[in-house]
This record gives sequence, structure tokens and C-alpha cells, in this order.
Amino acid sequence: MHAVETLNLSKKYGKTDALRGLNFEVEEGEIMVILGPNGSGKTTLLMILCTILKPTSGIAKVVGIDVAKEGTKVREVMGIAFQEARGFWRHKPSSILRFHASMFDIDPTKRQDLIDQTMKDLELWESRDKLFMHLSGGQAKRLETAKVLVQRPKLAIFDEPTSQVDLRGKRKIWDKIKELRNQGSTIIVATNEVREAEYLADRVTILHQGQRVVCDTIPHLKDAIAGGDVVEVDFEDPVSARLSEELKSLGGSVALSPQGNQMRAMVSRAEDWVPKMTSASYNQGAKISSIKITEPSLDDVFMQFTGTTLEDKP
Amino acid sequence: MNRVLTLAAYNIKLLLSERNWFFLIWALFALQITIFGSLMSRLVSGKVEDYLFFYSIGLMVITVFDSGASVGRNFVEHAHEGELPYYLSLPISRRGFLAAQALYGVADTMLKTLPPLLGILFFMGRLTVLGAFFAVLALLLLGLGISGIMISMSFIAFKSVDIYSAFIAGLSALLVRFSTVFYPLIFMPNFYSPISLLSPLTYGADLARWFLGFDPQLLLNPILAAAVVTAVAVGTLSLSARIVDRIIEGVKVG
Repeated sequence: MHAVETLNLSKKYGKTDALRGLNFEVEEGEIMVILGPNGSGKTTLLMILCTILKPTSGIAKVVGIDVAKEGTKVREVMGIAFQEARGFWRHKPSSILRFHASMFDIDPTKRQDLIDQTMKDLELWESRDKLFMHLSGGQAKRLETAKVLVQRPKLAIFDEPTSQVDLRGKRKIWDKIKELRNQGSTIIVATNEVREAEYLADRVTILHQGQRVVCDTIPHLKDAIAGGDVVEVDFEDPVSARLSEELKSLGGSVALSPQGNQMRAMVSRAEDWVPKMTSASYNQGAKISSIKITEPSLDDVFMQFTGTTLEDKP
Repeated sequence: MNRVLTLAAYNIKLLLSERNWFFLIWALFALQITIFGSLMSRLVSGKVEDYLFFYSIGLMVITVFDSGASVGRNFVEHAHEGELPYYLSLPISRRGFLAAQALYGVADTMLKTLPPLLGILFFMGRLTVLGAFFAVLALLLLGLGISGIMISMSFIAFKSVDIYSAFIAGLSALLVRFSTVFYPLIFMPNFYSPISLLSPLTYGADLARWFLGFDPQLLLNPILAAAVVTAVAVGTLSLSARIVDRIIEGVKVG
């Protein structure tokens, strides 16, 4: 049995298709990262899984329970940290966490210790008695994560867990999410941050325009794109059209910057391609100022499979 | 059930933190009775015996109405301030969620009306345990019915908050004006009284007055009033449960 499974899942808002026949599975105990730009359907999928939205058609199951038919049972086993940490304006973080823990029947004898420890871990301890409305965006976001950490659900869902959080805070939240997985939870993280996905993911599902484009481990995704290396070359001057054509004929996927003096190529073997490129450039009189060889990033993977970048609108 | 009570208690706790607001409501209530109530009482003296008492209970009914309406507004605010998705993600049924909202409404109504009601009954020498108990019960049933109406209408707010606000303002004005909160039915002109029979406030006000020993000649039949108030509470709460269960979604996102 999958921890999460959707079959032909669709959601329409009026005439807009947010999800279009999505098939998606998450295995028990893994961290599945859903990667996609804003508007790709990530949040809609999560809202359906936690029974807040109803699917227009198709099936979604959490630990084998149909979200449309047995919503209350699904909510018993899952917890969600929302993208927007809003509401509870006049409650304090400590009281919000106590309420959340009591709603999910966390052992009363351990509840307070667990809450205190989580607040300390996420650096909310100093703010525990501030009103929610006086928290910073980052603190409110950390509180959202803290609710799920205190709850320790079978399925934990994090919707862009580190947006508005500083770099140090991001690392803390990521480590706590991994710790939660190690304690036995299945995790889904929706994000459009490549670094977050690379740090957390056991597998990545790329979502684009409400459909699953691909799902695999990060190494497999990177292997699947054309070429295994990324070569970034800076020229002193914009390259000529003739050189550009010649470089493109060397193989791989070559793209020039709009200014014409930067080139990014995804090639099979950089050690074979680079000498050919430098030789062609020398023959055409183009001066190279730097060459950088790297592995493809998830952004490259996203670009390869969708034709757009994560920053682009859908 | 335990979770429903926990959720209700969480919201009620917030309500209790607004002590100053309650003092203000009670003070306004007292001011309204001592100035407008006593003035109007002199104007109609002779026609309605003890009009000040009649007026006081009418004012109490308006307070109950406002309290019930505030439950509906609260529900809409939850949706627009982002709390609703969180509540809908909690492990209680949609009906349980609604029951928690209703309990919050009951607490709100009790806090706003019980102290002034007991005060009035005491000062007017009409305080009896049974009378007060059943009058409060009638007012609570009325409050639940009003909450049910307002929550049922809240689906409009999911299309447009402006339309919802305008609709509720219009509905509230009609329900209050066309009712017996300030005038007994038998003194109303012919064109006015049939419309007033459509307002649940008419039945709630007359039932509360009957329990408190007001002249039955000026009131509706208490059995009819009790039946209508109960039917409105049960009917509108069932309707709002259906709406929460079937129509309302927490958020709309891309």
C-alpha cells in the first residue's frame, strides 16, 4: 500500500484546471518533494490530500483511506504546515501549540515537554508568549512547522516550509523534517526552491500545469537529462553568429545569453567537449575569460522536462 | 466529542479575553434602557402595561440576534483571515466543527445577555429561577437559529464578501424591524403584522416574555412560539451543517 496515491485526480476552479488527471504516489517513510513553479498545482494537490478541497474528479487516498469519502479519518493521520501562516491573531505560540497537540491527542504527560523542546529547536522560545500578530513572517512560518513536529503524524505535509525564513532557520527546519522522517513519518514537501528539494528529497515529483511530468530520485533525474555535465563559458566579447553555429554543431544542448557573451552547454562529457569548444573559439578569434564545469541542477532538470524554469510563470 | 469541546473552548478562551467589550455591551444596554426605554415607556403608557419590561426583553432579543449574527461573521472572518483551512484540517467532522462554532455562539450569547437579563429581572422584581431559566433557554434557541441562518448565508461570502455584508445588513434590518421586539403584534397595522410573523425574532421575543410572566393577551401562543423557535434552530443548523459539509472549501489556490 502506498502512503499516498492519486488516480486521475482533477480539480477545476471555474474554467481553470488546477490539476489535470494527476497520477501520483508516495511510499511509506520517504520524503517526496513536489517541485514546481507557482500555479503548477502543488498547493491544490496538498489541500485535496488534507481534505480541505474536494477533487472535481479522480481518486486520492492517504494510507489507503479515500480523502473524499472518509475525510475525518484522513485528518486523524496527517498534519499540514500551510504555505501561509495566518490567523490566530490574538493567541500566543505556546497556546497555539498546546491546542494543536490536544486536538491530536498527544500524550498529556509528554505534551508540554515536547512543545517546549520544539519551540527551542525552532528558536521560538523567546517568542512563546508574544501574540501571533506580533510574530515576524519567519517566526510565524516556523510556528507552522512546529505544529506538525509536535503532532508527529503518519503523513506530514509541508507547503513551502522555509519561504520567508532566513538561511540558518531553513537549515534547522530541513533537519527537523528529516528527523521527523527518521521517526517514521512519511513526508511531502512542496517547494519551488531547488536547494530545498536537493537537501530533503528521497524522490522528486515535477509538477507542471497540473500534471506530473516526471518522478524519480535526484541522481536518476540528473542522469536522465541530455548530457551529464554543464559547461558555463564567459567570453570577453559577444560571440559571432558563425561561432555560435559552430559551437552548437559540437553536440549537446547549447544556449547563449541574450548579451551573447555567456554560454551554457549541457554535454555528455565535458572533457571531450571543452577542447573542441576552445579550439573553435581560438580559430574564430573569440577570447574566453572563464570556463566552469558543473553537474546539472534540479533547475536544469526542470528546464529539460518542462521547457521553462522554476521562476517562469506556468 | 472531546475534540469538539476542545475547539469550542479554544475559541471561547479568546472570547473571554475581550472583557472590556462585554462591559461596554452591558453599559450600552443599561444606557438604552434608562434613557430610551423609560422615554418610550412614558409615550405608550396606558396602552401597554409595563412597557419598559416589554422593551427590555425586546432589547435583549436584539442582543441575542447580534450575537447570533456575529457567529456567522466570525465564520466568514475565519475563512478570510486564513483560519478556516486550519480548522478544516483538524481531526473532527464538519458537523463537529459546526457544533464547536455553535457552542462558541452559545457562550457569546450567554456572556452578552445573562448578566443584563438577570439585572433587569432583579430590578423589576420579576426574578424567578424557573422564569429566568426558560427565558434564557428560549433566547439560546433563538440565538442558535440566528447563527444557523447566518452560517447558511456565509457561502455568499465565498463569492463576494461585499455582497454578503450588504445582504446580511438588509436581512438583519428586516428581521428586527418586522418583528415584535418593540411592539406587540396586536397593535401593529394590518399590513405590518403578517410580515412580522415571518421573523423568527417575533417568536423568540414573545416566548421569552411569556416565560417571564408578561401579559399573555399581548403575546403569541407560547406553544406555537416554542415550536417555531425550535424548528428554526434545528432547521437552519441542519442546513448550515449541510453547507459546511458539501459546499464550503477552505481555500482556493492555483
